[in-house]
Amino acid sequence: MADAVKFTIDGQEIEAQPGQTVIQAAMDSGLYIPYLCYMPKMDPYGACRMCVVETESNGRTMTQASCTTPVAQDMIVRTKTDDIQELRRGIIELLMTEHPHGCLTCHRIELCGPQDICLRHVRVTDRCTICPKNERCELKDTVRSMELDLTNPMEYHFRDLPRHVDDPFYDRDYNLCIVCVRCVRVCEEVRFDTALTLTSRSGTALVGTSHGTSLLESGCEFCGACVDVCPTGALVEREYKWDKAEKTVTSICSNCPVGCQVITEVNKRNKVIRFRGDLAGEANNGQLCFKGKFASDYPNKKGRFRYPLIKIEDEMQRTTWELALESAAANLKKFNPDQVAVIASPRGTNEDNYVAGKLARVALGTNNVDSALNLNPEVTESLLASIGYAAATNPIWDLENSKCVMIIGGNPTEEQNVLAVPVKKAARAGADIVVIDPRETELTRYCRDGLWLRSKPGTEVTLVGGILRAVMDEALEDKKFVNERADGLQEIKQELWNFDLVRVSQITGISEEQIRLAARAYGSAESAAILYGADTVPAEEKGDLALAAANLALVTGNIGRSGGGVFPLFGGANTQGSNDVGANPRFLPGYAAVTDASARDRFSREWGVQISATAGLSIREIIDAMADGKIKAVVFMADGISPEQPGLEGLLEGLANLDYLVVSEDFPGEVSHFADVILPAATFTEVDGTYTNLERRVQRVRQSMTLNYEERPGWSALARLGSALGASGFEYDSAADIFAEIASVVPSYAGISYERLEKGGIQWPCVDPEAPGTAILHGVEDENFRPKLTPMSIREILNVHDAEYPLTLAHGRVLHEPDHPVDVENRNGMNYITRDNYVQIHPDDASDASIIDGDMVELRARADRGGNAVTFIGYAKLNSPHAGLVSITTLFGEIAIAMQDSDDPDPAPRVRGLPLMAVTLSKVNVPAGVA
Amino acid sequence: MANEASKAADDVRTQIQTVLNGQNQPTVTVLSSLLEIQDVLHYLPNEAIEETAAFSKTTINEVWSVASFYTNFRFTPPGDHTYEICWGPSCHVMGAQQILKRVQDELGIDREGETEDGKVTLKYGTCLGACAQAPVIAIDHHHKGKITTEFAAKMARELMA
Repeated sequence: MADAVKFTIDGQEIEAQPGQTVIQAAMDSGLYIPYLCYMPKMDPYGACRMCVVETESNGRTMTQASCTTPVAQDMIVRTKTDDIQELRRGIIELLMTEHPHGCLTCHRIELCGPQDICLRHVRVTDRCTICPKNERCELKDTVRSMELDLTNPMEYHFRDLPRHVDDPFYDRDYNLCIVCVRCVRVCEEVRFDTALTLTSRSGTALVGTSHGTSLLESGCEFCGACVDVCPTGALVEREYKWDKAEKTVTSICSNCPVGCQVITEVNKRNKVIRFRGDLAGEANNGQLCFKGKFASDYPNKKGRFRYPLIKIEDEMQRTTWELALESAAANLKKFNPDQVAVIASPRGTNEDNYVAGKLARVALGTNNVDSALNLNPEVTESLLASIGYAAATNPIWDLENSKCVMIIGGNPTEEQNVLAVPVKKAARAGADIVVIDPRETELTRYCRDGLWLRSKPGTEVTLVGGILRAVMDEALEDKKFVNERADGLQEIKQELWNFDLVRVSQITGISEEQIRLAARAYGSAESAAILYGADTVPAEEKGDLALAAANLALVTGNIGRSGGGVFPLFGGANTQGSNDVGANPRFLPGYAAVTDASARDRFSREWGVQISATAGLSIREIIDAMADGKIKAVVFMADGISPEQPGLEGLLEGLANLDYLVVSEDFPGEVSHFADVILPAATFTEVDGTYTNLERRVQRVRQSMTLNYEERPGWSALARLGSALGASGFEYDSAADIFAEIASVVPSYAGISYERLEKGGIQWPCVDPEAPGTAILHGVEDENFRPKLTPMSIREILNVHDAEYPLTLAHGRVLHEPDHPVDVENRNGMNYITRDNYVQIHPDDASDASIIDGDMVELRARADRGGNAVTFIGYAKLNSPHAGLVSITTLFGEIAIAMQDSDDPDPAPRVRGLPLMAVTLSKVNVPAGVA
Repeated sequence: MANEASKAADDVRTQIQTVLNGQNQPTVTVLSSLLEIQDVLHYLPNEAIEETAAFSKTTINEVWSVASFYTNFRFTPPGDHTYEICWGPSCHVMGAQQILKRVQDELGIDREGETEDGKVTLKYGTCLGACAQAPVIAIDHHHKGKITTEFAAKMARELMA
C-alpha cells in the first residue's frame, strides 16, 4: 500500500490514502463536511457545491469542492471560514427557493405533527411535517448542520410538477427534488439500468424518464437503490410511506442466497416498515433488489399463525405448545424411522437447520432431512469431488475484477439479484460476458456479438466440453497451474478427443466459430468466472455441469485467483447454510458423509446416539416417497415455500397422502392446509441467528420485532419437539448456544462466534478464532485437498420429447426492449403493461403448423392440478435458432406488477422463475373484422 | 383501426431504421442519429427515441436525456406550414404586436405552436434580419416585408383554408 498522505482539516491532522478525495478522508476521520450530491461508494459528481472548502497547497489558496479534490501532502483544508459559510448559505438559499422549507426556520419543528394547525400560516405545500421523509430528511439535516440563519429566506416557488404514484412500489414527487442526481447516478453507475435520467437542461433540468413514461417500460428493475440514496422526499417507498422508525436494526434479507445486509426500520407499533441496503454490507455493498426492498414486510401482514393449533375431529383448534408437542411426539413415534422425514425451511437460520438435522438423526433416527429449496444439490455437492468444497470459490464482489464472466443456465437478475450487479460492473469495465442459455435474460444484452450461445436446451454440458476442447486446441490453458496444482489433466485430455467441434456443433446447434469465440473470450481473459445455474439443464445433467464448469476453471487456472472462480446458483436464503450444518440427507454437519463410518462415529459420540448408515432421501425423493406412501409422517418448516416453485411439483399431492404432518409456518397456506399440528413460526425479523450466503459468508440475522404472541423461532420449536420425543441434547437457551455447538462440530465454522460476527460476516473455512476467514478458496495451496479434473463424456441431445407437448418454450425476461413497442395502460390508478408478444418459431415448426410470419399463434403448456394451463398468445416471427425451440421475451415490470397485485401476504417466494416448458403451438384464427 | 395505427407505426419504424443505418459519417452518435431523423421526419416521434436506443445499444432514457437537452429537437409533428412573426425592436415599433394578435385570432391559438388541425406552426422571431422592411413575417421561410395587419391575417386565412 502506498504511503499515507498527511494533511490537516481545520487544524486536525488527518491521514488518508493517495487518490482519496478530501471529503472521503474527512468522513473516514469522523469529520463532517456538509454535502448533498456526494454519496459514499459512488463516483464524485461535484454538482451541488455544498461541500466547498478552502484549500491551501503549495502556497496557493483556493476554494474547491471537497468531493472532487484529491488529498495532497501537507494540504491545509479549512471548512468553516466566514467566506465558505457565506458561499454555502448562498447555495442553500437558492436550493430552498424550489424546495418546501417552511418548517425549517421554525423552532416548533420537533413538536409539530402533520395535522397541527400552523400558527405561522406556512402553506401546506411548504411544510416539512407533511413530507413523507420528515424526520429522516438528509437535506434538512444538512441545512441544520450549517446552523444557517434562515429567518428571512427567499420565497418558496411551488413548481406544481406532476406526481408519479402509479408505478409499482415507490412514488416520485419531483416538487421535492433538488436535482442532486444521486438517483440517476446510482441507476446508471451502480445498477447499469438508466431507468431514470436527467431531462432537459439548466433551470428546467429534472429527473425523469423518456417522454415521462412509466417505469414499467423504462427499464426499471425496482431495486429501490434510487429511493435509498434520495436525500429528500422526492423518491419514497409507498408502503408505510409516512411511518417513522422507532428503531433500526442491521440484519440479513431472507429472500435469496446473496445475503444482503439490510437496515430494518421498525415503528412504534412493532411493524417493520422499511428496508434499506446497508453500505457496510460486504455481500451487497448497499444494494438490494425488488424482493428485499419491497417484499420483505410480510411479518406485518394479517392472518399469521399466532398460537399452536391441533386437529381435533377435522378442525384446527387452538392449544398450548406443551399439548401440541406432546401430541406431535406421540404420533411421530408410531412410525418407523424410514417412514419419517424432516423438511427444513429455506429461510431457516443455521441454528434452525442444525437442530432440524439433529432432530431427524437423534430423535427420529433417520437421515431423511433436507431443505425445501435444496432442489439442485448437485450444483454445489458435485464440487466436493473436484474443488473439495461444496460452495462458490470466490466472493460476490470479486466478480467486478473479472475480465470475463460466463453465465450458464442461470438468471441472477431475478433469482440472485445483487449478484448480477458486480457482473454488470465488470461488463462495463470491458469484461466479456458469455451467456449459455436458450432464454433471453437481462445479462444477454451485455454479450458482445456472438457470445450469447443459444444452444439447444439440454446440451449445455456438451457445449462446455466443446469450449474446453477449443481452449486446449488453441493452447489457452494455464499449464503451470493445471500441472502443479491439479490432478487429472492427462485423463481428461483423452476424453476431450471425443469432443470434436464439428460434432459438438451438430449436437448443440452452436457454430464451431462461436464455440471458439467463447473459448477465446474465456480462455484468454486474465481472470474469468463462471456462474452456473440449473434452470434450463435436465436434472441428470446438473452435477455434470458443475464438474464441467470446474474443469474449465481449473484448466485455465481460474481457481484460487481473484476475478476467477465458479459460482453455483441456487435458491433459498440459507440453502448454503442448511447444507453446511447438516440439514442434508447425505451429509452430517460439515459435509461429513453419512456413508463414512468414522464420521458417523464422531457424531454418535457427539450426540450420544447411533447414526443411521443409510443416506436419507433428498427433498425430491421425499416428495415422491410421500406420494408412494413410503414416507408417512413429516415435520415441515414451511416458511416461505411456494408449491408452485419449479421442482416442487407433486408436493401437495404428497402431503395429502401423509398420515401425519407437523407444520411450522407463519401464514396459512397450501402446506399448512394438510397439517395435523401447526406450530406458529417467527419470521426472520423476529429471530436471532445466522445465515450463510452463497459466497460462504456467515452473517448475523438480528431480531428487530418483538414476539407478542406464541410464535417461536424454528430452532426452539424443533428442539422442544426433540425433547418431547424423549431425546437428549436439545436443551438450548438461545441461538448463540446452538451456534457454539455448530462451531464445535463443523471444522470450517470453528473460528466463528457471535461475538466475531458483530463486526461483520466471516467467510468459511475459518478454522480458528484468530483466522480472518477465507475469501478465495485455493488462493494458497490447500494442504487438505488437491483439485481434480473430472472426466466428462460427450452425449447426444437428451430427448425430453413429449408427444403431446412437442415444443420447448424458452421464456425470457428483460428489463428493457426499445425495439418492441410497449403500451402502458392505467387502471384504477396503477400502470399495467399491455403489449403484443412476439413468438420466435423455427421455420420448420412453423411450416408443420401452417404458420407464416406475423400470424397470431398460441402456446399452451400442460394444465396443472386446478386445470389452469400457462398460455401465451403473440405474433409469430420465424427466427428461432433451433427446430423444436420456441421463445418469447417479456418485461421485468410484469414481476413488479404481479408482486404488487398479489393477495399473498408473502409474494416474493411466489415470483415464478423461468423454467423451460413443454408446449403446443397452434395458430389462432382471428375472426374477420377484429384486429 | 388498431391495425392501421400499428401499421403506420411500423412504417415510421422502418423509415427511422433506414435513416439510422444509412449514416455514413465516420462518427455515428446518439446525437447524429437524432439529427438525421429530425431532418427526415421534421420531429422526433417516440419511435425515434426507441429505435435510436436499440441502434446505439443503450436505453430510451439515455437517448431522451440527450434529446431533451437540446431545444432544437421537437417531439410533436410540426404544422404543414410555418408562420413566423418578427417581434424584434424595429418590427415591434412598426406594430408587430397588433399583427401577432390578429394572426393568432385567425389561427385560433394564443401562443406559439401548432394550430388544432396541425396545418400551421406559429413561431415568434426575435429578428429575421430585415429591419428596413419592418414589420416582417416569414411564411415557410419566405420573407414578406412592410406588411399590413390585414395582409398578415389574409395570409393566415389562406394557410388555414
